[in-house]
Amino acid sequence: MANIEFEQELTFPVEKKKLTFKQKLRRDKWLYLLLIPGIIYFALFKYLPMWGILMAFQDYSPFLGFWASDWVGFTHFQNFFSNPDFFRLLRNTLILAVYDIIFFFPVPIILSLLINEVRMALFKRTVQTLVYIPHFMSWVIIASISYVFLTTSGGIINDIIAHFTGETVSFLSHPDWFRPMIIGQVIWKEVGWGTVIFLAALANVSSEQYEAAIVDGAGRFRRVWHVTLPALRSTIVILLILRLGNFLDQGFQQIYLMTNSLNREVADVFDTYVYFMGITQGAFSYSTAVGLFKAVVGIILIYGANWFAKKMGQEGLF
Amino acid sequence: MKIFFRKSIITYPLFFSLCFVLLFGCSNEEADTSDEDNTDGETTDISILTTAYTPEPPDESSPAWQALEEYTNTNLDITYVPSSNWDERFNVTLASGDLPSIMLADKTPSFINAVQDGAFWNLTDHLDEYENLSQMNDIVKNNISIEGEIYSIPRSRPLGRNAVTIREDWLENVGLDKPETIDEFYEVLKAFTEEDPDGDGEDNTTGMVVSEYEGPWDIMQTWFGVPNEWGEDENGELVPDFMTDEYREALDFFNKIYEEGLVNEDFAVMDPAKWHDAFVNGEAGVIVDVGDAANRNHKDMVKDDSSLEGSVGLFGAVEGPDGLYNLPTLGYSSMLAISKTSVKTEEELHEVLEFLDKINTEEGQNLVFNGVEGRHYEIEDGEYVPESDQNLVYEYEDLNQILPALPTERYHVEEESELTEQWNELKIKNEDIVVSNPAEPLVSEVYAQHGQQLDDIVNDARIKYIVGQIDEEGLDEAEALWKQSGGDDYIEEINTLYEENQN
Repeated sequence: MANIEFEQELTFPVEKKKLTFKQKLRRDKWLYLLLIPGIIYFALFKYLPMWGILMAFQDYSPFLGFWASDWVGFTHFQNFFSNPDFFRLLRNTLILAVYDIIFFFPVPIILSLLINEVRMALFKRTVQTLVYIPHFMSWVIIASISYVFLTTSGGIINDIIAHFTGETVSFLSHPDWFRPMIIGQVIWKEVGWGTVIFLAALANVSSEQYEAAIVDGAGRFRRVWHVTLPALRSTIVILLILRLGNFLDQGFQQIYLMTNSLNREVADVFDTYVYFMGITQGAFSYSTAVGLFKAVVGIILIYGANWFAKKMGQEGLF
Repeated sequence: MKIFFRKSIITYPLFFSLCFVLLFGCSNEEADTSDEDNTDGETTDISILTTAYTPEPPDESSPAWQALEEYTNTNLDITYVPSSNWDERFNVTLASGDLPSIMLADKTPSFINAVQDGAFWNLTDHLDEYENLSQMNDIVKNNISIEGEIYSIPRSRPLGRNAVTIREDWLENVGLDKPETIDEFYEVLKAFTEEDPDGDGEDNTTGMVVSEYEGPWDIMQTWFGVPNEWGEDENGELVPDFMTDEYREALDFFNKIYEEGLVNEDFAVMDPAKWHDAFVNGEAGVIVDVGDAANRNHKDMVKDDSSLEGSVGLFGAVEGPDGLYNLPTLGYSSMLAISKTSVKTEEELHEVLEFLDKINTEEGQNLVFNGVEGRHYEIEDGEYVPESDQNLVYEYEDLNQILPALPTERYHVEEESELTEQWNELKIKNEDIVVSNPAEPLVSEVYAQHGQQLDDIVNDARIKYIVGQIDEEGLDEAEALWKQSGGDDYIEEINTLYEENQN
């Protein structure tokens, strides 16, 4: 059996070689035609703009344009790394990223495990729909809602706190509250949406496994631990790798909206910095350099995580 | 799987499509250059890029637009961009290389860069020929200039625009007069907070409302004698405002009024779009902002409660330890720059400048500000009566976005209320006490690179000090950080430029 398969694999390419590229093109011309729009799309909107990265090595002036601007090599990178802001930005970005992985990433898993345990189908679907809704709200709305609830002058939550303790908590302006607030908002907005993939993976778990576990005397928690979670393992790993690729992306809008004079020292991250330097200050080259640095870190993380996952015997992304 | 990705198969279509893209892109560019030089006809073609504040800016079908074209003998092509997207659109337009004849601009690093790269005409020697454009105010001229040269026409605004809006009826209720010194100002804030000025028996008022927008602090610190961004020390060297003793004094005062609850507690996170609401709703009795706000707020208040008629007053500034000072506004709101890409020759430049000059005449200003007589307004017994139909208003309203208003505003205005009269007098009185910024025309490279961070360090430290998050030591640390983040170079550069500029 194995032998035959091996032989087939050997003969397969030999047979193919007889066809030249032209012949193949003629044979599959309609398939190639179908491919063209996709290729044009990627070339035009993804690969062509990538050359803009070269701006990071220029002293780009919008009026002179790309071709006439001076080349300056790694100057912008040097300026960035020697800037006293660099370590503050790196620190803020990394702390938020780590908080995100630790506090946000597990929440959709836990929520989908909970939803999965619900028996009544109607209730289950209602809950699912309700938890999706915040995902469709824009950050501007969420920022306003946060203000209305958390402000120290007449915010509902602060009124309640003041009622019991006699003091107010400056959630919106104290630096110590900034990160919990950001993570809290992310959880509120995205947790429901995050369950979609996990619930889909859970739907594939065969009920026989649960039945077998019940016969073996496993309780609810044992079933979750030994059946449900292992079934989710590969999904969790893949989503974690993908998440790491965006490790340094901190949702610009959200942070921008929640930043104020009193919490800026912990709120400035690479994304907001790129915006301020690039759009408001017009330092295009410099902010491209910062963005490029971020992208490189992202690539390293995603490859690193993929390598690690494979090393640990999991299926990687590629 | 593997075989599908073999090199040749994937590269050929990719290569062809790339060629296709390049060809397509090039041919497009060629087409662009062909339709210029239509300026030989009787009328002048002028393209303009400016901001819009209404949802429906006028277009070529608008009678006001057509009347303006006829009056100035031009063929106008005005592109309106919503003011909220302006910054992005400005940069994108610069990058496209396809600049309109007249383009709205602010003194941002990108504009200065473009000027230095030769994108806009230097107007310094041209303005004298034009009746209205030549009558530019000297302070404004200084403010718009870049390294001593003029590259744009300002859209003029009053210089003494900052003022304090106050509830006069509250003053009466607590038995105080309009404050004239900082101490009296403090007394008023305290009374407005603690003595129930609205007389409803509840402790529901604060003295002053401030928001995340830092303007009020800038204005109030000027009362203490703090310079406007840069001031000369005893050796004639320029020092930044926050390094003066007066600055610390002002901050101590701000901290005091905050600690005593005379300012709304959450100001540092309050949306600047909403702070006037607190004044209109009777939650606060003082607002430090541009004086035009008084009239707007008064109108809103009277709309809800007609008994509040005449309850709003204005004053310019209060006297500090060293005298009476006020912070000027820049004297303009964005500038109109003339691009060299669309306006190629001096003759064409002359035509464009003539257009900008001509809309400043009374007739021109009436057209862009009031529309067409008989359609958009009537003159009854010498009084200006505007048409209130919003669709008609839209036909002309945003045309005023191209108006330099030089030497003054001369369009029709509605009959003046007592408050606007008060305001008009105040604007002129303010001009005597405003402190100008000696470094305004200087272009600092350090600031272009690090300006945002430097400003953030100082402004954030100020807010933190006011709310009591940091003390004097914290201010010193912020100052040290400012110096280290490029501030030292900034001071040095500004002083060198300042010396050069004076010679």
